[in-house]
Amino acid sequence: MGRDRGNALMLMPAGLLIVLVLASIAVDMSVVHLRKRQAFELAAAAANDAATAGVDQGRLRTTHDYVLDPARARAVVADVVAASELASELAGPPVVTVIGAGVRVELALEADYIFADVVPGAPDGTEVSASATATTAAAP
Amino acid sequence: MTHRRGGDHGQVGGIEVLPFGLLVFVVGTLLVANAWAVVDAKLAVDAAAREAARHFVEADVPAADDFGDAEAAARRAGYEALAAHGREAARSTVKLAALESPDGQAGFTRCARATFTARYDVPVVRLPWIGGFGSGLDVTSRHSELIDPYRDGVPGSAEACS
Repeated sequence: MGRDRGNALMLMPAGLLIVLVLASIAVDMSVVHLRKRQAFELAAAAANDAATAGVDQGRLRTTHDYVLDPARARAVVADVVAASELASELAGPPVVTVIGAGVRVELALEADYIFADVVPGAPDGTEVSASATATTAAAP
Repeated sequence: MTHRRGGDHGQVGGIEVLPFGLLVFVVGTLLVANAWAVVDAKLAVDAAAREAARHFVEADVPAADDFGDAEAAARRAGYEALAAHGREAARSTVKLAALESPDGQAGFTRCARATFTARYDVPVVRLPWIGGFGSGLDVTSRHSELIDPYRDGVPGSAEACS
């Protein structure tokens, strides 16, 4: 009986370690979720700005047509991304697509794990991507 | 017939690891809790900076250099976003970090970029019902938005945007 009791006690730190490892995985996954949200918010802000500031002003003033200039939209998105604190976390340049009076922005960010980093052989992080589309419409 | 006493061997070995297990648990829990607190605070300050910037660029201002009320309302929106995430106003700061028009002037004009920063001081240890102790990590977020070049209520012309 004494031996049984001793074995149960030995299991306790192991059980606690397992709980902590699971908690660490939960925190790392929440970091990935955070980066995913940040990627979406950055894409949404960039698309929102590009949908208005990316318009071809020359055409708007001469023909009153609201047409987006792809080069200008790309420049606006690049400005938004450069002004963001996430600029250094970008996995690649954002993809900007002009669709009619709308702009679609796709981007990918690096998400570094906090705890998995210390496990030998485990990946240091992952890549998350997000896309957002903004379209202009006449005021009601 | 031999009897094996439930001797001290296994028991003593087990008791020895109890303080170690407790130490690992307390230190590990604090580590994980602090890491989670930073991630959670980052979500809150991200939302605060975004709300403040959105609120500011959509404000109506009387003149390009008269945006004090809009800035105050935007900061309030940022603090409300932090409060909605259960954050203390005393530990947080929301401010207009930059407002720069395409020609490099500071003013509320079309195509000017408004940048807001939100900051939160995450306490080192946070206990349920008691609150947080100590000055810990400073979690910040920055968000910028363009003032819409073609909407009503903005001083100036959109020609400078091109």
